[in-house]
Amino acid sequence: MSKSTTEVKADEAKGSKSFSIPQTAPLIIFLLAMVLFFSITSEYFLDIENFKNILVALAVTGIVCVPGTFLMIAGHVDLSVGSAAAVSGMILAQTVNSKGIATGLAVCLVFGLVLGVINGFFVTIVGVNSLITTLGGLATLYGVALLAGNGQTVMMFGFEWLGTAQPLSIPLPIIIFAGLAIIGIVTLRRTSYGRSLYAIGANANAARVVGIRSNRILFITFVLSSVSAALAGAVLASQLSAGDPNAAKGLELEVVTAIVLGGASLAGGRGTLLGTVLGLVVIQVLNNGLILLDVPSFWQRIAQGILLIAAVSFDQIRQKIVSQKG
Amino acid sequence: MGKDLVQLKDIRKSYSGVEVLHGVDLALASGEVLALLGENGAGKSTLVKILAGDIPPSSGTLSIDGTELARLDVYQARQLGIRMIFQELNDAPTLTVAENIFLGQWPGSGGIVSWSEMEKKAQEILDRLQVKIPVDAIAGSLRVGERQLLEIARALTQNAKVLVLDEPTAALSSVEVDRLFTVMDQLKSQGVGMIYITHRLDEVARVADRVQVLRDGNSVLTVKNSEIDRTALVTAMLGKESEKNARPAAVKTSKPALKLNNLSSRLDYSDVSLTVNEGEVVCLFGKIGSGTAEILESVFSLRPVTGGEIEIFGEKFSPKSPAASAEFGIGYLPADRQRLGSFGIRSVAENLAVTCWKKMSTIGFVNQRTEFKAFERWAEALRISSRSGPTQEIATLSGGNQQKVLLARWFEANVKVLLLVEPTRGVDVGARRDIYEIIRRQAKESNMAVLVATSDYEEVVLLADRALVMAKGKIVSELTGDSVDAQSLVSASS
Repeated sequence: MSKSTTEVKADEAKGSKSFSIPQTAPLIIFLLAMVLFFSITSEYFLDIENFKNILVALAVTGIVCVPGTFLMIAGHVDLSVGSAAAVSGMILAQTVNSKGIATGLAVCLVFGLVLGVINGFFVTIVGVNSLITTLGGLATLYGVALLAGNGQTVMMFGFEWLGTAQPLSIPLPIIIFAGLAIIGIVTLRRTSYGRSLYAIGANANAARVVGIRSNRILFITFVLSSVSAALAGAVLASQLSAGDPNAAKGLELEVVTAIVLGGASLAGGRGTLLGTVLGLVVIQVLNNGLILLDVPSFWQRIAQGILLIAAVSFDQIRQKIVSQKG
Repeated sequence: MGKDLVQLKDIRKSYSGVEVLHGVDLALASGEVLALLGENGAGKSTLVKILAGDIPPSSGTLSIDGTELARLDVYQARQLGIRMIFQELNDAPTLTVAENIFLGQWPGSGGIVSWSEMEKKAQEILDRLQVKIPVDAIAGSLRVGERQLLEIARALTQNAKVLVLDEPTAALSSVEVDRLFTVMDQLKSQGVGMIYITHRLDEVARVADRVQVLRDGNSVLTVKNSEIDRTALVTAMLGKESEKNARPAAVKTSKPALKLNNLSSRLDYSDVSLTVNEGEVVCLFGKIGSGTAEILESVFSLRPVTGGEIEIFGEKFSPKSPAASAEFGIGYLPADRQRLGSFGIRSVAENLAVTCWKKMSTIGFVNQRTEFKAFERWAEALRISSRSGPTQEIATLSGGNQQKVLLARWFEANVKVLLLVEPTRGVDVGARRDIYEIIRRQAKESNMAVLVATSDYEEVVLLADRALVMAKGKIVSELTGDSVDAQSLVSASS
């Protein structure tokens, strides 16, 4: 036993040097500061209807953030989600008008599925970097969205409930997002698939060597990402009663910002869905507050860009501190 | 043989009070190749680092090309024409051959590189070495041996007089080794003196004019080429015969678990046949590059097999993917723990359970408590010390403890065949014995067949029921029982 006690000591010496900065603490402080600031400067901010607005605005992005977080944890990213949502909104508007709601929704989701298969194929089978694959997808699909309506918005009739219904006076998009988020949290923490995502992100080579079918898992996750983008596009189109090629512009930026703000590492292997939800709340509170204060809308873009860089810088600085101490 | 180039006299070196070189002399004439032999830790690296100006000697004198010095720095050493060629490549793989030869000192003026001049000069140097490599080829597209020649060429552009080659052949195929020797002959005829560090005794006779053996910081033997005697060299390297009483009691089993029949993989190894029985620990011993690790990689589907077949419990097994191998009941521990083994930023419990998530889950859900319990069970059995229990990040553990976790992940998965490559690399001496004991005990208790690839003969003596010695991709001898000793292992593998 004497040997094992000396080993414990050696590890204690190492262990005591490493500590973890609570990742979410600064974010929560930032959020509280914003809430305080906006509730003082705007009389409408602390209104229950305003909270609903924030949550509804958050829900569409949030739907995409669920598999988006999965991908980021595995060390990948899907930038095609914004354009994918736009195309699926266009598809939905056109098919709902001609073939009805059920067919419209089905076509829309099948489109997401096919797109995910294409992304998954390029990333896992051809081996193209996911950033490049989906950046290409972002550009291509935006063109497709413009093409689909000749650059115009396509009106959609009789399908507002997906985006605006309020069962038990809770807006449906919030219910959808909350449901997906809960499933996502359980999946990440408690399933073999979820745990494998962390392993792949932490060390892709080692994941292969312990017998994780990494390609299969990534493929599935890209499909989930595109399907969620299609669903988000459908919700958005329903809210607007129209397919608008520019409706989801910048969605990918918002998704990545929320995930990174939430503490997921760009290098993979770290991150939680709860963190992402917190990131989403921060972004939407900021957006909402700026609107209430009548700040011109382009400032929202500027604020979001700065937020993304701040979030990544924070991640980098934290990693440096941890690696120095560790 | 020409004039004296290097004269090291009574070189001593201490690190924080511990002397690692106890007064070593070394002489090198121009146009001479001196082979420097010795086990790991014998002091070879320290000695050549002193020569290269990397570290100052504690005492002793250096005389280079007639200039006597008490010490020299890196810059002086370069000025005097001393160059080191390491086993690892130090090139820029995306640049051309010519650019690499002149790396950092591209010919031209005023910051403008003259490509025509650079390529012309590069061609001259390659011609001088009688090496046929196109100067505009991309370095990364060449073979390792060719890239190594580029490094020699680079040294020559800087007028090297003394070349130190630190195990340059470790990663080379036999054709490439031949080519390197041809180049060395060229350099000899041009008066370059070379110190050649190696583990391979067969190369020594071929390339060296003189051999010097270091052991425990002393120079124990210096002989001319004509007087080289293999047994004498091995004895000089190892010192006294190692104790035989350290051998573990052999396991007697007869049911074959893993069988390789004439297995081949292109250049890596060929015609390898072996059997590992249930509960038995078999070590494949050989130098890095001799094919030992490569065979294990093939069985775990990490390296293509080009001939022969693998049988597991009498059933033919064709490797498809690591995942398929794992499902077949095979476990694999890679040599490179950081890159291929551990998930550094994840917890020890996850690192252990990663092979068993499917097995641990009920209707698709992994119970974290099961994961923790598995860790705690193995932590106790293998004495893994993790300060904050199952949630501690594995990277914060000592090497030995990390390795125990990585072993436990396959024990927990209940594999029937376990493949271990260099299982105690980066593990401190104390924990090594622990790990040997764990592997042997686990093999016996769960009737697991264990095949180990290692380049450490001491490991073989302490771990193996049976040892197969490999050299140049072939099994050259088999040792069992008490015949497994350091002397026979080293001699057979050289």
